[in-house]
Amino acid sequence: MALRHLRTVRVVVSLLLFLPVLFMFIDLTGILPAWWIGALTAPEFIPGVVRLFSGIGAGVAALLFVTGLTLTFGRVYCSTICPLGTLQDFFSRLNRRRNSRRRFRFRRQNYLLHYGLLGITAVLGVGGSFFLLNIIEPFSNFGRMCGTLLRPLAILLNNGIASLLDAGHVYLLFSAPLRVPSPESVVLACVFAGGLIAASYMRGRLFCNTLCPAGALLGLISRISIFRIVFDRAACKDCGLCEKVCKAECIDSGSMRVDFSACVSCFNCIDACPTAGLRYRAFRRAASDRSSPPFNRRRRTILRGGMGAALMVLPGRDTLKAVLPAPTGKSRSKLPISPPGSGGIERFTSRCTACHLCVSACPTQVLSPSLLAYGPGGFLQPRMDYSVSPCTYDCVLCGEVCPSGAILPLAPEAKKLVQIGKARFVKDDCIVITKKTECGACSEHCPTKAVHMVKTDGLFLPEVNDDICIGCGSCEHPCPSTPNKAIYVESNPVHLIARKPETKKAEPQAAPAADFPF
Amino acid sequence: MDRRSFVKQTLGATLLAGTVAASARFPRLFAGVPSLPFDLVAVKGGEPDAMFDVAIGALGGMTAFVRKGQKVVIKPNIGWDVTPERGGNTNPKLVSRIVRHCLDAGAKEVYVFDHTCDDWRRSYKNSGIEAAAKDAGATVAPGHTEGYYHSVTVTGGKVLKEAHVHELILESDVYINVPVLKHHSSTQLTAGMKNQMGEVWDRGYWHRNDLHQCIADFAGYRKADLTVIDAYLMMKQNGPRGVSLDDVVPLRTQIVTTDVVAADAAAAKLFGVNPDDISYIKIAAAAKIGRKDLENLNIKRISL
Repeated sequence: MALRHLRTVRVVVSLLLFLPVLFMFIDLTGILPAWWIGALTAPEFIPGVVRLFSGIGAGVAALLFVTGLTLTFGRVYCSTICPLGTLQDFFSRLNRRRNSRRRFRFRRQNYLLHYGLLGITAVLGVGGSFFLLNIIEPFSNFGRMCGTLLRPLAILLNNGIASLLDAGHVYLLFSAPLRVPSPESVVLACVFAGGLIAASYMRGRLFCNTLCPAGALLGLISRISIFRIVFDRAACKDCGLCEKVCKAECIDSGSMRVDFSACVSCFNCIDACPTAGLRYRAFRRAASDRSSPPFNRRRRTILRGGMGAALMVLPGRDTLKAVLPAPTGKSRSKLPISPPGSGGIERFTSRCTACHLCVSACPTQVLSPSLLAYGPGGFLQPRMDYSVSPCTYDCVLCGEVCPSGAILPLAPEAKKLVQIGKARFVKDDCIVITKKTECGACSEHCPTKAVHMVKTDGLFLPEVNDDICIGCGSCEHPCPSTPNKAIYVESNPVHLIARKPETKKAEPQAAPAADFPF
Repeated sequence: MDRRSFVKQTLGATLLAGTVAASARFPRLFAGVPSLPFDLVAVKGGEPDAMFDVAIGALGGMTAFVRKGQKVVIKPNIGWDVTPERGGNTNPKLVSRIVRHCLDAGAKEVYVFDHTCDDWRRSYKNSGIEAAAKDAGATVAPGHTEGYYHSVTVTGGKVLKEAHVHELILESDVYINVPVLKHHSSTQLTAGMKNQMGEVWDRGYWHRNDLHQCIADFAGYRKADLTVIDAYLMMKQNGPRGVSLDDVVPLRTQIVTTDVVAADAAAAKLFGVNPDDISYIKIAAAAKIGRKDLENLNIKRISL
């Protein structure tokens, strides 16, 4: 294969990977089966690294694959697998000024910023605070932009068409519940999107080489990768075209050097070179085509210091633990409720990269994005919001799609026993007490009958059996009491295992004297 | 075309369209009241579909209720994300057979829907009703968003003066209510009238404002042309959702009638409670929405 085709291959592969991932986040009806989503997200690098902390075997293979890929070919990950990378290329292409495709020039990468940020992010992350990681992680930002900005538009479009079809009783499309994202999350997504558009419009892959933690980690690996882009000094006519088309700004055509740690293997340079002056081949360390990065001694010292500091902070992780804020909004629960499979608040907040894939996948939308519900350390991580819907008893989708291991997959039978909270009954707010009429909406919907009705003063009043309550919110959601729900779920900061509901075998009906009792 | 014939044709078309529209909006103005051989038919000892064949036969066949070209809506209980053997939803075989009878009687369209309690897509699927109804030739319609529900005045309602009712209930010529008989934690019993709660959008209002009275009020607003109570499997405890198979007992019984109050009274007796102990039955009978005095009704009892 001629080297010229490498760029075409890269573009095709990136689109083939990008479009399904984009669809995954705006899939309104759950067309994509969970195993598809699992396959699509498995190679995402940072979620994969986070997943290691949960010791998930299957995930390690994907991580090794990406590492091996980078060791062999350089950061092709950044040009093909990473959806945010492809998105930046798209924005970069929008720059249609004259000669805009040739607008770049070599700049020394800001390693201090990039690796300093990586170090701080890692220290905070290991310490249990995902605040910084969730702001800069590429897959999560891609997911949040899709979920916050694109998905509502897709829902509007879908519902518009659905209502037209509905009018003719053609039920091909179903209107999806439109959840208007909170102003804060829209602002955050817009700020990130705006910054990303501006950066890629002007400077190509600036984000990937200054902020992105995956870019930083893979850049470390690609320093020693087998295949690299190198100058063929004999063939190069020193026209500088390669440098002008390099969106990673890592080609110094003057000194014929490529900073391969910053190279995202887009192959634009090879495509642009009129004289085959650039090669992509197994790297031999020869004096003539040395491509060692400009990584000086002083910076190394600083980095080492940073890593050392990180290691010293590790034992003191409690100092970094998020302080949970006072309850806000409609829920009466003092703490946010984390989804089943997450183990509890502390485990969840130290595993979730806030990509909101679970939010997109959740059929009832009970999983809702939060801002600071878990405190700064759990920035943007989703929580259960029973004002929207209860958690479906037999549904385990969130655990099946979670790419970072924050929500572990659960078998339906196991999930039905995971107690994420406990129902709390506030008698004085209950309709049966305040209006002296029957209600029982809470007990009706309870899948375990932890909430059951007991005859009290001639009327049936709810009562909660904590042992078999799983905190699914089936009681809280339909409670018609206003302004305060008379029954709500109080979060279990650490999830517990509920007792399996036991039912007595119902007695068959006594045979009536005649065939019918009437 | 000259001006006169244009005006004539336009007027004619408008009148025709108006008539069609009016007949669509007020189908019951044009429907005759069937005179039936029995007030209520009760069948026991067979499969849900076979029992329905016998019951509807005793009432003169589905043609007594459905005329050629009419639009039919069937409202089963699809409230819960449980499988058929759990008895939480109407038996899919029964729904399928009713659809077939309607189509055989010449119905133009048969719709099946419910405003579910659990996630609607899971409930439609796992109840087996979606597949069964579609296979039989019905159109399975959603009821999960407010857009399908239109505000109506509940004439004669004591507490429930206004409700948002599913458009298929409002615009269909024939409405068949197909509940499943179950224990119910708040009202003690759910069958015909309680099942109609799945035709409205805001159920919270009912719960907030005297549930029993609202159930009776709504039963008076829209009487089903036919009520078929599925008591093939009966959830005897932990209703209306049920916790396990332990909650279900086999009863292999079915009640078919045009009087939903009589249906619920008979259902109460099957369940083993006195109809007078169920408030909404008492209220509805007192409001003359139907009759609970089974002893004075012409009942056909069939054992298979």
